Amino acid sequence: MNFLLLNSGNGRQRMLQLQLLALLPVSIAALVNTGYQYLATLAQNSTLSTDDFRGRLARGLGASHESLGLFDMLAAGFAHLAPILALALLVGGFWERIISERRQTPMQPGFILVALLFTLLLPGAAAFGHVVFGMSFAMLVGRGIFGGDGKTFLNPALLGIAIVQVSFPSVADQHPLWNGLAGYAGSDAIAVYHRGGEAALSAIDIDLWSAFVGSTSGTMGTTSVIAVLLGAALLLIERLIAWRLLIAQILGLLVFATLFNLLGTGAGASAMPAYWHLLLGSFAFGAVFLACDPVASACTNPGRWIQGFLIAALVVLIRVANPTHPDAVIPALLLASILAPLIDHLVIAWNIRGRLRRHV
Amino acid sequence: MESFVLVSPGLETRYVSRAALLGRDYRGVNFELLCEQGDEVKAGAAVMRDLRRPEISFSAPVAGRVSRIERGARRKLISLQIDVDDSQAVAKFEPPANNDGVSIRNFMLESGAWSSLRTRPFGNIPDPAGKPMAVFVTALDAEPLAPDSRTIINTYLQEFCAGVTALAGINDAPLYVCHAQDHGLEFEDSGRIRCVTFNGGYSAGLPGVHINALCPIGLGGGEVWHIGYQDVIALGHLLLHGKPWLQRIISLGGNAVRNPRSLAVYPGSTIGELLANEVNDGPSQILAGSSVYGRQIAPGSAYLGAGQRQVTVLGVSASDSVDKTAATNNAVIPSEALEKLILPGIFPVPLMRALQLGDAERARELGALELVEEDVMPLSGACVSRSDYASLLRDVLDRLEAAR
Repeated sequence: MNFLLLNSGNGRQRMLQLQLLALLPVSIAALVNTGYQYLATLAQNSTLSTDDFRGRLARGLGASHESLGLFDMLAAGFAHLAPILALALLVGGFWERIISERRQTPMQPGFILVALLFTLLLPGAAAFGHVVFGMSFAMLVGRGIFGGDGKTFLNPALLGIAIVQVSFPSVADQHPLWNGLAGYAGSDAIAVYHRGGEAALSAIDIDLWSAFVGSTSGTMGTTSVIAVLLGAALLLIERLIAWRLLIAQILGLLVFATLFNLLGTGAGASAMPAYWHLLLGSFAFGAVFLACDPVASACTNPGRWIQGFLIAALVVLIRVANPTHPDAVIPALLLASILAPLIDHLVIAWNIRGRLRRHV
Repeated sequence: MESFVLVSPGLETRYVSRAALLGRDYRGVNFELLCEQGDEVKAGAAVMRDLRRPEISFSAPVAGRVSRIERGARRKLISLQIDVDDSQAVAKFEPPANNDGVSIRNFMLESGAWSSLRTRPFGNIPDPAGKPMAVFVTALDAEPLAPDSRTIINTYLQEFCAGVTALAGINDAPLYVCHAQDHGLEFEDSGRIRCVTFNGGYSAGLPGVHINALCPIGLGGGEVWHIGYQDVIALGHLLLHGKPWLQRIISLGGNAVRNPRSLAVYPGSTIGELLANEVNDGPSQILAGSSVYGRQIAPGSAYLGAGQRQVTVLGVSASDSVDKTAATNNAVIPSEALEKLILPGIFPVPLMRALQLGDAERARELGALELVEEDVMPLSGACVSRSDYASLLRDVLDRLEAAR
């Protein structure tokens, strides 16, 4: 891992290591749950074909399709997560190498974080073409043209995922391949709630606890709220992310979800209670690892409160109003992130006005 | 002839053979020398004055022979060094007969005490005829390993009170005595002299914090003055005894110091001699000031600066020094760790970006006028870009002052 030592000063390198460490619980949860979803689906429906790349890899690693042991889940999860991560790292490293050679600067190790975040935001059976496309877009448009680590204005992984979702809408909704099984018609938990409410969730054995632990279907890294909380604790203790932004998002979600509960039509997502908003979909993951990206969020404290409430409002609004984006977190974060410089600009203008009014 | 010795109750004194006045401590001053190399000077006698404002004089910190006048680029004065000679006399000053503002100002100018006042914005020596909106006496030390301001002020309480009363007399502005919690300082003229308690973190002892809380500098062009408690004691000493207070009390601290403690030393003492036999072996860095707000100095030719009350010596590992030079990416990462490192009401990240770009107008709008170098030192330590915000701020302030 020589390139990790090539570029950065001590502080920047430590920051990256912390961010990667904070993603460790989520990554482990992603391995276990992706494997669990795959094997559980197979156990329910043994007619599904497993004769694809991932199925063969899982079998080759020793995962038994009949049992649900920890090793089997890890092996099956590895068969899904590892190829995507390896490909994302390869594509990211490739572009980073090209950019650094063109610019005659050392390689910046931040692409590792981009690749990991990008991978965790994909479903377990994402098409490799989508990975190459999204990662290339993230590295070039999200990161390269701005000058690399710390100089971006959007989180590159967020941008990469957004472009994949926009370009290939089937990734975002009713993905037929959450578990890499041809013919499987399942969907991520939040889309299930959209269609059938709480009854539909309990029909596939999702309760509050399983949503909190993360044994539900969804994009790989985002299902386990408890793993996200562990990472968030590390980032907060190390004072890397702004607690105001995080608290504002959670408070905002509670407020706006309750508001829609009271005012809404009582069907679909408008009736979704705040705790389901928090637990289902990728809100928790996005709030901690994407929205709180220090580089791509508001950099003033009042701005952080505003941005947090804005994200929450957008998440609830898009979930209620736009059924093509049942999860809504990616477009909401993208919009809020684009608006962050404007929010900062207004906050600073207000601050300057206060300074002008002083008589000294 | 009065002999020239340090007496400070309950404190170890440390004599050095050389002391200096540093040009860097008095920004914006063009010095006119009143002595030459080889001259014998009395302690407290004027050795330099400001070419532009000749009323402002600078007095010798010790008695002895002017051994070297060091000049840098464009003949800018770097230091005026004096070899200490104990047999030399101490300059005498006649305290003003009446206590009106003009007499006290003239006395301060004549005795050199005026040069320890500083303005905010910019951190200059104030104009002798200037009218501040407020005067701040910084009567506490809150930085890590700082000397105990409470003990020092209580030891010299008479002189301190005399100094504060005199300062309150030089203009009509309120005078704030910013002191530590439970210090219990009281003054008779309570209408003009206001005692304010500051506590909290390391920043509680910064004049910038006091000014920000009590009389914040806006964009209107006004100014406030501030002065440290030891300089107030020195002023009171001049007024009460007619001779200069020839010592400063500093603390020696840091993890590379064998025996951390407070010392009474000559103003402007050479740091090399102060640290002789005090520092552990191995690589170390010497800071003028504390580990939070201090500025790194070269060990060989360094002297105590004006108003400096701390010398911190930190052991460093070899890799630390390599890392500092290795940063090539100057982007600021606005992590939560940067918050609270600067005065309340100032947004650190926009200010840091403005300073990096050298955008003086933007920095002014964002509150740069409230700051001097020491206020932004923690940002340099916490920011991954390893930018030196102190010197960036100084460039911006110089340009803002020139444009005024």
